Parts: sequence; structure tokens; C-alpha cells
Amino acid sequence: MTAIDTIPNLDRKKPLRPSQVVGRIALYATLIVLALFVLMPLAVIILNSVRFNDDILRESFIGWPTRLTLENWGVAWGEACINASCTGVKPYFWASILMVVPATVISTAIGLINGFALTKWKMPFAGFIFVAITIGVFLPPQVVLLPWAIALGWLGLSKSLVGLSLVHIIQGTCFTTLFCRNYLINLPDDLIKAARIDGAGFFRTFWKIVVPLSPPIIIVTIIWQFTFIWNEFLFAITFSSSDFRPITAALMSLNANDTGVSEYGFGSAAVLIAAIPPLVIYFLGGRYFVRGLTQGAVK
Amino acid sequence: MKRTTKLGITVAAIAIAVSGAAQAEPKTNVLHQWHSGANADAINKLGDMYTAAGGTWNQTAVPGHTSNTIARLRADVISGTPPSAVQLKGPEIGEWANTGLTANMNDLAASEGWEDVVAPELVSVMRPDGEWVAVPMNIHRIDWMWASKSAMDTVGATGLPKTWPEFNEVAEKMMAAGIIPVAHGGQDWIDGTLFEIVVQGISTDLFRKAFVELDLDALQSAEMQSAFDQLRLMVGWMDEAFPGRGWEEPLNMMAKGEAGFYFHGDWAIGTMNAAGYEYGKDYLCSGAPMNSGEPGYILNSDSVVFFKQNDPDYVEGQKLLASTIMTPEFQKVFNVAKGSIPARMDVELGDDFNPCQHLNIKDLKAAADAGTVVRSMAHNMAVPEKFRKAMFTVISEFITSDMSSEDAARRMAESVINEY
Amino acid sequence: MSETVTIPSFAPRPKSRAARLSQLVPIAVLLPTMVATGIYIFVFVLWNIYLSVTNSSILPVYDFAGFDAYTRLWRNPRWTTGVWNLALFGVLYIVLSTVVGIFLAILMDQKVKGENLLRSIFLYPIAISFVVTGTTWQWILNPSTGLQSFVRNLGWESFEFSLITDRDTAIYAVVIAGIWHASGFVMVMVLAALRGVDTDMVKAGQIDGASMAKIYRRIILPTIWPVLISVFIILLQFAIKTFDLVLALTHGGPGISTTFPAMFVYDRLFAAGELAQGAAAAVWMLIGLVVLFLPILALNWVIRRQKGAVK
Repeated sequence: MTAIDTIPNLDRKKPLRPSQVVGRIALYATLIVLALFVLMPLAVIILNSVRFNDDILRESFIGWPTRLTLENWGVAWGEACINASCTGVKPYFWASILMVVPATVISTAIGLINGFALTKWKMPFAGFIFVAITIGVFLPPQVVLLPWAIALGWLGLSKSLVGLSLVHIIQGTCFTTLFCRNYLINLPDDLIKAARIDGAGFFRTFWKIVVPLSPPIIIVTIIWQFTFIWNEFLFAITFSSSDFRPITAALMSLNANDTGVSEYGFGSAAVLIAAIPPLVIYFLGGRYFVRGLTQGAVK
Repeated sequence: MKRTTKLGITVAAIAIAVSGAAQAEPKTNVLHQWHSGANADAINKLGDMYTAAGGTWNQTAVPGHTSNTIARLRADVISGTPPSAVQLKGPEIGEWANTGLTANMNDLAASEGWEDVVAPELVSVMRPDGEWVAVPMNIHRIDWMWASKSAMDTVGATGLPKTWPEFNEVAEKMMAAGIIPVAHGGQDWIDGTLFEIVVQGISTDLFRKAFVELDLDALQSAEMQSAFDQLRLMVGWMDEAFPGRGWEEPLNMMAKGEAGFYFHGDWAIGTMNAAGYEYGKDYLCSGAPMNSGEPGYILNSDSVVFFKQNDPDYVEGQKLLASTIMTPEFQKVFNVAKGSIPARMDVELGDDFNPCQHLNIKDLKAAADAGTVVRSMAHNMAVPEKFRKAMFTVISEFITSDMSSEDAARRMAESVINEY
Repeated sequence: MSETVTIPSFAPRPKSRAARLSQLVPIAVLLPTMVATGIYIFVFVLWNIYLSVTNSSILPVYDFAGFDAYTRLWRNPRWTTGVWNLALFGVLYIVLSTVVGIFLAILMDQKVKGENLLRSIFLYPIAISFVVTGTTWQWILNPSTGLQSFVRNLGWESFEFSLITDRDTAIYAVVIAGIWHASGFVMVMVLAALRGVDTDMVKAGQIDGASMAKIYRRIILPTIWPVLISVFIILLQFAIKTFDLVLALTHGGPGISTTFPAMFVYDRLFAAGELAQGAAAAVWMLIGLVVLFLPILALNWVIRRQKGAVK
């Protein structure tokens, strides 16, 4: 009966029976094997980022380094030729940061305040707005690319940092509002009402009551938004210019099939550099992410 | 030293101020897809010459696939900020010219006498409806057969095969000697490139009718089926790992001697030069086999299209860019790097050019005299994109499955009808 | 459940001007979002629908041309193959990611040591972009660069692993990469939900001699059900938007065997210059989405209503 294992161990004090010992061993073995499988691609890339490209081409793409080099990292960061100029991914990395951080912060703030307004105040058409936002979550990006081009043209923001950030803020607001609404709907109404009896207005209640109770969902939306905007490619190449271009475009340029001789070495390093910010955010916020999700982001 | 620099800067600043007051300051921003490798080097040469001629150079290289560049162009156009110059080719130039958004370069063309120097096959492409809207940068030949010197030596072949039956014999020998006879990549345009080379080798007439005029009878004719039969043979000579490969890996396989032959356009030269492979030592080249014995030539050309601009700086910049592209110096420098030959017929190739490029010019002249030059279907020179994609679908399906030649020819005709 | 204490309601009380004004604040706050997302969602979608019934080719034109584009694309093998692939991929990706995720969550819920570390490991793929996921798996799955050549170099010369180069199996390579990307995320969500299961009730059920199946149906499943719906929505959203992953992994090949509807839309809109047909394909995708979604939204609503009724 494996099913019984699925219930949290109810009684820990009893000494384990031999069959249970075997069960524990099988459990850890399974987890470790699966963890290794999940880690494999990352391990391959990390190893390749410290191998010489010649070695990778000669030996195999998967393999232990026979000689180590850190040169790939330097080349990927500051020297590799991308989009016909040899600057490495450095300027693209900073361009991405410049776009992602404000867009994430703004869309999260809007989402939270929207969620508050939608759930704790009587709003006309609240249900309708909710459905509309859900649709927004599902719109395929290819479909809205041209309309965005027209809209940005009207606003005079085509191919600019502000324009692309605006696109991400508006699209992201659908996700953040959905997340925050689902979280805040579980927040006890009494707290809000008490604050209102005390004469606190909308913003005061929001600032004093809602914000202090929301770190879990704030972290969830920040993680989601940061990762999504950071990794987005199609809009990044369409609404960028030579002065401002996010890192995903640079990565594609380095690793696309129809580019120069396969440079797996610094290609791998570039992939890792691009993956670091979202990974850091996940590892720092991961614990809260789980907690935030538990508390209602997904209910 | 310091003082002279300062003085120099002051003089330059005054010069700019004066010229700025008097006339527009030429600026450009070229949208293209040559974001890396030999292609990027080649376009950077244009940037250098443009800057040297007094212009302010800027470029937007779109990574990934051609459709990304087109997506970008379309987004720019409908957001009301069309690029001043964009790399486009073939019938697409005409399609964009029909929208009325392209710039008319007739005055410049007349004063520089483009019509007299540009290869005649290209004039109608650059001047749809009588208006020069684009300038050609080069002529690429598609129907190249690259052969590994060491593989040829291994099987004791004396000369490169001239017809498909001859080719098949050599390929059989390579197979027996443990060499992969045909190197191939796994993307639809690479499949399409190979197949159009085969079709041209079967018959120039078939190529014209099927791939240029989209004649339905020709598309499912017995000749087309025999082209598929030849392709089927060649698929059997590829290694199993070709799907998903780009175009450069098979090139390396050929140059290293792992594979015998590779059929691909001459941008391969730029890459082989960069990788240090040498003609005669590592690889050989010739036009692909022609069963008819005629000189074959599948033509492709890169060009830059100009869109109407409001800013006088950019209008001036377009003229400067067009003039720069049309200079014999640029045509030379650019094409040495890119592996193609100049689009101007009056440029003498020097020693900087690879022997294959010299052969290219010779073959082009012979084919032009014989009237057997055709425009490439696989590289957007012959038919609109939707037909190209439809035919690619069938060709790629054929290569990766065991579809019969008869089915393939019939499906090709059907897919073309569906797109009308 | 205990009755909530009735809080004095203040809605009907006569209001001062300031109080009435303050009631407008939340509306004012929501207004920008409503306008912006309203344009983003409705105007953009309507523009797209309109475009699909015009003659638009390389640029939008706004003359009515009928519904030809809607029927024409069902004759295009790239579209039909794409739809079939999306159906196959969607089912396999969603079901398998969920199954693997639940399995992992159950394992993780056995009070394992090092839970935080393991959770981080299982979760990290979701932070990796689809482009990188696709590129990396392409390297690993490609016989000439990846696993096959690695194993052969170890000495097992006849080892075959060419999933990605065979037209009949390449779609499973996409599924593998997709599961790798998403299952850790499912695990975290399900794990969070399992932690919310009332252990006392499970215990009580066991004491009463209820079968495990019954306990699952009656106690555990209802608790994690809302999370599973959310998982489904998030995975479905990924599946329908599948684009970067396939482009980087198989480029839609071999042949057209791994092409997807989103790729078709992109190709028609941008490469082929067939705006009307691309828009029509996009509308078909939206229709598919609505057809899939209505039952789920209804189900979710019913469940919520039932829960509310219990309380």
C-alpha cells in the first residue's frame, strides 16, 4: 500500500519497521535520482562554461572538463560579438535590469492596489473585470504584437525603454492583479472594516493594513514578473533599438543556429549570466513563493 | 599633440555646425539580420565606409530568423516609424513598393548610371514599376557543390561530377569508404536549397516553370518526380543526425573530410575563410551537376530597400548609403568578406577573391549568354513567401519521411493551389 | 462553522460629501488599469478579429473580405499538424507535468531531510526561459552533440538515442523539455496544498475504517482541487503559447513534425505577409481557448459555490 505513505507521517515516535527502512531508502533514492535528472541540463551548461570550445567540439557536448578555463565568462560578459558589435552581453544585461526592475515594481504595486480595490471595496463590474483580466493572461503574444506597435506609435514610444516597459507593465498587470486579488480575497474583512471605522481612507487602509499583510504575495508577483519579463524574447527584439536592447536578444544572437561557428563555451557562459538574476530571485524568494502560493495566490 | 587634437575637434565642430546649417547631415539606421560571424563583418565594412564618407552610421541587427526581421519591419512600418534602410530581397521589394511607402531613388540612379552597371537580372528586382527603391549589394550563387578534397582523394575521384548520374557513382564509392556522402542541415530552407539545386540540375526549364511560374503541371510532372527520386537517393547518403542542424555544421563536416559533398550557397566561402579552410587543400568547388550539360546558375542577391523618411538627415543619409553601396570599392570589400560577387558587372575581381568567386563570375557570364540563369526559389527571389513556405513543407516532409516521389510531386502542386 | 459576528453595516448611513468622495477613490484607482487592460484585451482582440475578415496581406487594410481566411487554413498542413501537435503536446505536457509534480510532492511530503534544498532544485527550471530550455535540451538530445555521443564515447558504441531526429518521436522531445520545465512548479503548488490537508480528518477517516481511495476522494482531493485547477490554467497557458521552446529545440522539425499553432500564426503574420490568415488562425486559437475554458471556469465556480454553501 503505497498510498498510505502519502499521508503525512502521523506518528513519528514509533521506531521504524524494517519494511519502513526500505521505504525510506527507496524514497531518498528516488528523490536524489530525480533531482540529478533535473539538475543535468544546468550541470552540463556549467561544465561547458569552463571547458575550452575545442574540447567540447572534439569530445562531446556532455562531459567532464579535461582542462579548465574561466576565459569563456570574460568573453561572454565583455568581448563576444553580438549584433555586429563586440561588447559581450554586458550592455544587454544592464538594459534588461533597467527595464525589468521598474516594470516589475510598478506592475506589482498596481496589481496589489487593484487587488485591494477589487476585493475589499464594493466595485461596479468587479466580476466582469476579473474575467477580462483572466482573458488577458491567456492572450498569445504574437496576436497582440502588431496592435502594440500601432499603440506605441501613437504614444510616440516605439522602440524605447519606456515603451517596452509600458507593454510589460500593462500585460503584467493582468497577472499581478489576478494573483493579488486571489490572495487578498482571503484576507479577513474585519480588519479592513475596523480600519474604516477608525476613519482611515482608501490609501491609509492600504498602506497600514494591506501592505504589511502582503509580503508573501508581493514576493510571488515579483518573482513571476521578474522572470517573465526578463526571459521574454519576441517583444524584446521588436520594440528595442540599437541603444536599448534586452539580454534575450543577445542570447539568441549568440546561440541561434544560423550564426557563427558553434561557440558552445562562451555561449554556455552567456546563458548562465542571463539566467543568474531570475535564479537568484528564486533562491532568495523561493521559500516565500511556496508560502505565498499556499496562502491563496492560486486558490 | 593635445593642442592639435583640441584644434582638430574645434575645426570639426565648426565644420559640422556650418554644414548642419547649410544642409542636412546624413544619417542612417540599417535594419538587417546579419548579426554575427562573417555576415556581421561584411556589414560592418559598409558602416566603416559610410562613416568615412561623412555619414552617421547606425544599425539594428535582428537575431534569430528572417521572420524576426520582417516582424520588426512590419511593426516599425505600422507604428509610423519605417526604417530608413532595410535588407530585403526578391519579390518582397515589389510588394513593399506597391504599398507606396518606399523611397524613390530614380534621380540618384540616373546621375550615377546604375542601369548600365547593375547585373541585368537584378535591375527589374531593384526597380519594380519603374522606380528604383533598392540597391543590390551582391550576387550569391546558390547551386554550388562543395566537395571535400580528402574525401575525393580517398575514393580516387579525378574530377568533380558534372551530372547527377556521375555524382551518384562518386557518392556510392564514398559510402563504401565510410565517408558520409552528403552533409546536410535540418532546417526547411536548407532542405529547400538542396532540392532547388537538384531541380535545376534535372532541367532549367522545369525550374522556371515550377519554381518561378508555379505551373501546376510542371510541379507534378514526371521530371519533378525524377528530381524527388534523386533527392531520395541523396537522403540515403546523409547521416542520421542532420535534423535540427544549422547550415554551418554540415559545412564543417565537409571541410574536415567527414562528409564528401555539401550543396549550399556561397556564403559558405566567408565562413570557410574565417575558419581557415583553404581551397584546393580542404575543399573544392564547382557548379552543381547539370544533366543537360548547360551552364547552370541559380541567382540570389542581397539588397537594401529604402523607405520614405521625413527627417531630412535621414533622406540625405539614404542617398549617401545608396551611393556608398554602389561604389566599386564597397562591392569589392563587402563581397570578399561575404563570399559572393559584386552586383556591379564592371568590377574587376582582384586577388583578394577566392578561386570559387572567380569561377562564379565566369559561370554567371556563361549562363547569362546561354539564358539559363534562374532566380532562387528557396531564397525568396522567385515567388512570394507563402508559396515558398508551402513547397518547403512538402520538401522537408519528403526528406524526413518515406513519402514517394509521386506523392511528393502531387502534394507540392496541391500545396501551391491551396495558397492561391 | 461558527457564525461570524455581525459588524454594523455602514453602507446605508447618510454620508458626508467627503465620505462619498472617498468612495470614489477605489474606482479612480482602478480606472487606469481598466482603461489600459481594457484596450489591451478588448480593442486588440477586436482589431485582430476584424483583421481576419479583411484582405490584409503585408500591411493592415480595413475592407471587408469575408471569412475565406478561416476555412483556407484548414487545408494547410502546417496548421493542421500544428493543431494536432498542440492537442497531443497539451495533453501529455499537462497530464505528465501534473502527475510528476504530484508524485514529487507526495515524496517531498514524507518529512524528508533537506527539503529546502530539494525544493529549490526541483523549482529552478521554471525560472529558466523557454529559449534557454529549448537550446539546452537541443544540445543534450541531439545525437551528434549530446547524450548519444556521450554514452558512445563511454564505450557503448551501439547506444541509440535519437528521439529528436525522428519525425515520429520529435514531439516527445518537446514534451520532455516541457515537463522538465514545469513539473517542479507543479510540485511546489501541490505540496503547498497537501500541507493544508486536515490531518485530523484523515486520521478520523482511517479510524472509521474508510478505504484509502475514499479518504482521497473525500478529504484530500477536495482540498487540493482548487490548486490543481490553478495548475491546469497555468500549464494550459504555457502550452497554448508554446513557441520559443519549439523554435529553439526542434525548429518545428524534422520536416514540419513539431510545428505549433503559435508558430503558424507568427509565420503568417510576419514571414509570409498574410496578415488576414494569421489573424484568422489567432482567432481560431482564441475560440479553442474559450471552448476549453468555459467548462473549467464553470466547474471552478460551482466548487466555490458549494464551499461557500457549506460555510
